[in-house]
Amino acid sequence: MRVVIAEDDALLREGLVLLLSNEGIDVEAAVDNAEDFLAAVTHARPDAAVVDVRLPPSYSDEGLRAAAEARRRIPGLPVLVLSAYVEDSYAAELLADGADSVGYLLKERVGRVEKFLEALRRVADGATVLDPEVVSQLMVRRRADDPLRTLTPREGEVLALMAEGHGNMAIAEKLVVTETAVSKHIRNIFAKLGLEPSDSGHRRVMAVLAHLRS
Amino acid sequence: MREPASEVRRALPFMLTGAVTGLMSLAMLIGVLLVVPLLLIGVGWFVLPTAIRGLRWTAGLDRRRVGAFTGTALPELYPSTEGSLLDQVRIALLDPSTRRDLGWLVVHGLSGTVLGLLSVALPLSALNALLVPSYWWAFPVDDPVTSPYPVTSWALALTMPLIAVAYAALALWLVPRLAKWQVSWARAWLAPTQAAQLTKRVSELAASRAAALEAHGAELRRIERDLHDGTQNRLVGVVMHLGIIERALRRDPESALPLILRAQDAADDALGELREVVRSIYPPVLSERGLDGAVAGLVAHCSVPCTLIAEAVPRVPAAVESAAYFVVAEALTNVAKHSGAEQAEVRMSMRRSAGSQEEMLMIEVSDDGVGGASETGGSGLRGIRRRVDAFDGRTELTSPDGGPTVLRVELPCGS
Repeated sequence: MRVVIAEDDALLREGLVLLLSNEGIDVEAAVDNAEDFLAAVTHARPDAAVVDVRLPPSYSDEGLRAAAEARRRIPGLPVLVLSAYVEDSYAAELLADGADSVGYLLKERVGRVEKFLEALRRVADGATVLDPEVVSQLMVRRRADDPLRTLTPREGEVLALMAEGHGNMAIAEKLVVTETAVSKHIRNIFAKLGLEPSDSGHRRVMAVLAHLRS
Repeated sequence: MREPASEVRRALPFMLTGAVTGLMSLAMLIGVLLVVPLLLIGVGWFVLPTAIRGLRWTAGLDRRRVGAFTGTALPELYPSTEGSLLDQVRIALLDPSTRRDLGWLVVHGLSGTVLGLLSVALPLSALNALLVPSYWWAFPVDDPVTSPYPVTSWALALTMPLIAVAYAALALWLVPRLAKWQVSWARAWLAPTQAAQLTKRVSELAASRAAALEAHGAELRRIERDLHDGTQNRLVGVVMHLGIIERALRRDPESALPLILRAQDAADDALGELREVVRSIYPPVLSERGLDGAVAGLVAHCSVPCTLIAEAVPRVPAAVESAAYFVVAEALTNVAKHSGAEQAEVRMSMRRSAGSQEEMLMIEVSDDGVGGASETGGSGLRGIRRRVDAFDGRTELTSPDGGPTVLRVELPCGS
């Protein structure tokens, strides 16, 4: 796999390069600002891009804008956005123009190398990967009469794993239950939220997120 | 007798200029009265803003005149006239200041000129009476000198010094009193009403509260940024390197050692940055050693030789201490960086402000450097002002080219 990295902090940038190249991933370019990032992805056409939300000059959300712009120039470019904190409006913005091949993770997830690499590969393969924090934060902000609050704790876990981009089999494995049980949970979730059931991974995430954002 | 004489000398120019502004007030009063019939035919409404401006300008002349005479400024306080023509007219007409200014025009327009001329006439008459014996004979018998009675013989002429004394005595008694009366009338009509002063105070307080919120918000944003982009990034670095180390240990343990060192460095950096952030929020030295102890530390570490003169500074609210510490630290950084000074001095003292009896912490940082410091130049001074404004305090900088530079800050201590 070939990737481009945009991260302004030198230590983290070098760390990411080291981490990925140790795992046999080609880092085509590692840059520290949005402009160079756009030039690099346009030139290298990587299999995925890893972008920090905060980039110079104002360190607000330049990385997010750069990611959106890159996906406008190269439709379908897989982008994994790293952020110091979870902000659901960032997630919403990222997913605004299609959720295929998009990831949004807290920065510290890179420390769990195996999981991080798995997330990166899933994004490169076209899946949607959201940090578990995004989902739990969205759940916390619900009003009392929101159907989300009627989910059982188990259904909440299943929803979070769906948002992380896992398929039914992976969810069953993680929760140590049968796939049939998972399907049942998912049917229940969709019924409680009043959504059309769907099997396609990212479409499920989209449907859930659309509901969460409303 | 010397004191009344000097009082008259002081009062005379005041009364004389009063004669001039009295004439102007009368003219302005007539002008304003002429506008009134014009209002009926509509044209007047367009002239009205100009008339009100003229009214205020004329009243302003006397405010300054009285202020200069008494040494206590007579503040000018009008509601701001912004917005459409209609709004301006409405605000001006409804505001009590307009009625009061008009009242002053009537009082001063009718009395100012007369009293001013009277004040000058009395001493001049005394002088004249003294001189009458030397020239009365030159006047024709049927039109003699009258001062105040006709002088037609030497006998009458020789009574003139008595008249002079009478005039002089009247002048000595009356002129200072006239001036005093005029001052008290002016205060009664021209001083802003208490309501206007309170309105002004409220808007000042609103502004200082807005500045406080703004400063607070800016401070929170800075701390958030320092934590996220500094400390947290370092910790992410630690976690990331631990992750790399974990993978390396499985594959090739030898290669892990330099990575461990790097993770250690990142952890050290995180701790260092955390300390910096905490120090910038509330310097721990303040809680340990108090404001004067903390400032003494700053002074001792300043690269320019610096002395501290602190007069019995008690413990003040933590926010004030923090701001004061920040002010001195920034000011001394400026001294060290820009002034080229050989000597600097920091003074701190507590004072009660004259008006509100509020305790004020006064800070003065001076140096003998090149001067020319300005708030537009470096952001340090602007930061100081911002922080002081948040407390409704005052910042004053004098820094002529060639020096010396003196920064004075007053911080209310909220007691």
